[in-house]
Amino acid sequence: MNRLAEILDEAALTGRAVPRLTDRAALDVPAAYEVQRAVIERRRERGETLIGVKMGFTSRAKMVQMGVDDVIWGLLTDAMLVESHLDTSGLIHPRVEPEIAFLLDRPVRNPADAAAAVGAVAVGYEVLDSRYENFSFTLEDVIADNASACGFGLGPWHSPRDVGNIGLLLEVDGRPVASGSSAAILGDPVRSLTAAARLAHAAGIELQPGWVVLAGAATAAVPLPAGAHVRVSGAGLGHVEVTTR
Amino acid sequence: MRSSVTVSSSVTEEQETARRAAAARLLEAHASGRPCEPVRDLVGDVESAYAVQSLLTERWLAEGRRPVGRKIGLTSRAVQRQLGVDSPDFGVLFADMAVPDGEEIPAGAVLQPRAEAEVALVLERDLTHERHTVADVIRATAFALPAIEVVGSRVRDWDITLADTVADNASAGVYVLGTRPVALGDVDLRLAGMVVERRGEQVSTGVGAACLGHPLHAAVWLADTLARLGSPLRAGDTVLTGALGPVVPVAPGDVLEARIDGLGDVRAAFAPEETEERA
Repeated sequence: MNRLAEILDEAALTGRAVPRLTDRAALDVPAAYEVQRAVIERRRERGETLIGVKMGFTSRAKMVQMGVDDVIWGLLTDAMLVESHLDTSGLIHPRVEPEIAFLLDRPVRNPADAAAAVGAVAVGYEVLDSRYENFSFTLEDVIADNASACGFGLGPWHSPRDVGNIGLLLEVDGRPVASGSSAAILGDPVRSLTAAARLAHAAGIELQPGWVVLAGAATAAVPLPAGAHVRVSGAGLGHVEVTTR
Repeated sequence: MRSSVTVSSSVTEEQETARRAAAARLLEAHASGRPCEPVRDLVGDVESAYAVQSLLTERWLAEGRRPVGRKIGLTSRAVQRQLGVDSPDFGVLFADMAVPDGEEIPAGAVLQPRAEAEVALVLERDLTHERHTVADVIRATAFALPAIEVVGSRVRDWDITLADTVADNASAGVYVLGTRPVALGDVDLRLAGMVVERRGEQVSTGVGAACLGHPLHAAVWLADTLARLGSPLRAGDTVLTGALGPVVPVAPGDVLEARIDGLGDVRAAFAPEETEERA
């Protein structure tokens, strides 16, 4: 596990893609999550702290494409939070997608408790950067690779509200390149939050006050070029911007 | 946005005969409920295709059908790319195509039905200028409604080009309007989320911006195009502005619910099975 985690961690640190782990080792889903946690452990040893979780495969289309019937999750650290600028030169093949984010204001002790623990909602974006060659992976590979998590940004927090069907628009250099509804996230991003609580509960991790939950993407991810200005807007939630170099 | 529709110049007798043959083929499919072969072999360019559509309209008007507005099609970049076009198209809405919210749509009412959620605009002023602005359209709009359009192709297996669908009244079938009017000032149509659900599962999602960037942009295109063709939009007209997300194939018995954020919800209920042959 540690060797596999080292391969993925090195790939992230050096910006060099690696072949799929499943090409060299037999991995099942529980083992893949063990690799994921070992990757995060290496980040923590470097001083990073956990600040939330991200959900993946939250659209029906993606589930069908991957041949799975459940969501996956990854862990977010403080080093992944993007403020207003992102240097993409150290990344492999970054992509960006519009997200709905929840901020928890109390611990989530069980999945039934999740929605009530939401203190604020925001529009956000996630930068994905699979450590695998050609962004190509099996379910187990992508779980081990922390669900391709790389970075994320958040718009202004708003008081909790119905975010079940809000329009999201992703613009690059002022031109719309992707748009969709938050309903693409499991029908309602709150379901993704509940799933996060379930997966965390099963893994023995308690979602903490102050943690961010990235509920999933409203559109397919689009390539994130260098030297671009990206803005993600959400109806009633304002927008979040990032400039890449 | 440029329109690809121009006013007809001169037409040869041969072209006229071909257009009438195309119209006859589509009218026969409509009347018999049996899809026909494509008409592109008879139609040619877009201008001819609209001429065929006009022949259909003339026939249907002569049968006493009441025109109540227009539908705009091909408003998504994805669909435009698929058909290799860079412009939307339009068709005529008749009163008998309107189905009340949630009431059953009889089997066979629409050939090869597919559903899509749209923003409907209901006008209170004519739009007769050669070129319109967004302000003109806002001023002319009494209110917006959520809508489900059930498109259907009279052409077998939806084997259509731009010419086929334009000739075929833009593949118009039936439509359902929501019942709570919303003023344009009370809704952000650009960022309005859209979801269509079947038995609680989302089968299509989208957003206002997916319709030519904004549903009102589509309406401006339609107003300009119709004014140029000499049959402008009029007060009272309903305009279906175009799909906000991917089209949904429908099966007998399906009940689809569409929700557009800020506009409300609307349902299309399809009869369980084919119960009678169309007259």
